[in-house]
Amino acid sequence: MHDGIHVEQAGLPSATICTDRFIPTARGMAKMWGAEDYPTIFTQHPIENLDRPALRERAEGLATEVAAILTGG
Amino acid sequence: MTTTSFTDTTTASWDDALSAIEKGYELGWSDGLPVVPPTTARVAEFIGYAGRPPDEELGELPERRRVITVEKAAANAVMAGCLPEYFPVVLAATEAMLDPVFNLVGPSSSMGGAAVLCIVNGPVRDQIGLNSRNNLFGPGNRANGTIGRSIRLILMNACAAIPGLFDRSVIGHPGKYTYCIAEAEGETHWTPLHVDRGFDAGDSTVTVFAGESPRQIRAVGRPEAILYAMADVASSLGTSMSTSGSVGDVSVGIRQGQIVVTFAGNSGLWRDWTKDRVREYLHANIQRSVADLKRGLVLRGDIEPGDEAAMVSLIPEPEDILVVFAGGEESNMASVIPSWGPKVGSTAVTKAIRIP
Repeated sequence: MHDGIHVEQAGLPSATICTDRFIPTARGMAKMWGAEDYPTIFTQHPIENLDRPALRERAEGLATEVAAILTGG
Repeated sequence: MTTTSFTDTTTASWDDALSAIEKGYELGWSDGLPVVPPTTARVAEFIGYAGRPPDEELGELPERRRVITVEKAAANAVMAGCLPEYFPVVLAATEAMLDPVFNLVGPSSSMGGAAVLCIVNGPVRDQIGLNSRNNLFGPGNRANGTIGRSIRLILMNACAAIPGLFDRSVIGHPGKYTYCIAEAEGETHWTPLHVDRGFDAGDSTVTVFAGESPRQIRAVGRPEAILYAMADVASSLGTSMSTSGSVGDVSVGIRQGQIVVTFAGNSGLWRDWTKDRVREYLHANIQRSVADLKRGLVLRGDIEPGDEAAMVSLIPEPEDILVVFAGGEESNMASVIPSWGPKVGSTAVTKAIRIP
């Protein structure tokens, strides 16, 4: 969250993906940096235990949303 | 009674001691235990004792936009129940944990659930009555209890390490309430920790270490048996050190980290052992086979011929083992405290305590 917000504030489009157990922490970090409306994509927790195919499948499921945020859609 | 703000602190008032304690809870200043009301006079007394400006910056936590000042540390030291003469230790520990190599944002936020262990060395130990013997990590000593608690309150109140919000510990451990020990210098022929780390024996210092909980070790009272058991405990799967995901050194597939070890009992038992020899033994024996690391899914891949004999060290270098002689003199008990994370993620820091 911290890095995504800072990249965005530096003028580079960013899209941050966070697992859903961290929603309050992500919102709190955005608020702390004055970016309460910073768009964040939440995905089901956890991802640490996913093997490569499952992780790829998860990423593909989020790709449209990521592209939309990066292009301002 | 009333507190007034120095700069950006909260102002509160109360009618009696009980309502003051309840107000501390209401304002979210507590770690779960009652806090001593941080009256203006008491906070000023602490700052005056240290002889440092209230707005002096001890360091910052840039990721959370927090600058920690002497004044903020004082308010939390008062709330923790410190005496003014403990405050220089709190200040040095705060400066130490805000040193960039400690990387406070990591151990204060991580699911790993570390606490900031404070190890105090030098003359200040006796000057303020810190305990280095019986019940080393246990209750019963004001200096140990309240200095360690000050660090937790500073983390929560000044560094935004609020449980469930920015402190995401899954389990945590009891050391997150208070975690401060001293070394039993003068009762061992070993050089004290702060001398190992480049200070003079006459200096007073505090070393901060992002630590998991202590693992107690009970072994037959012979150095070889104690060290063998200690290496076994420290080599177990399930510590941060034996977790996958190397950070920095990609040639090592695990999170090699630092470790604190404490030795209690009779110093004479160790007369044939120097700290260097202890560190060298432990460094050579705190390890795990590639096969075991694969069984635990720490390393990926099938077990191959040679994996049972191929050993991976869990600690980067012998000097990453912080040896402390402390604990009751009655028995040869010991402890192992694994680091929260890899050495590149958080490194122990020692700072001099400025005694006024």
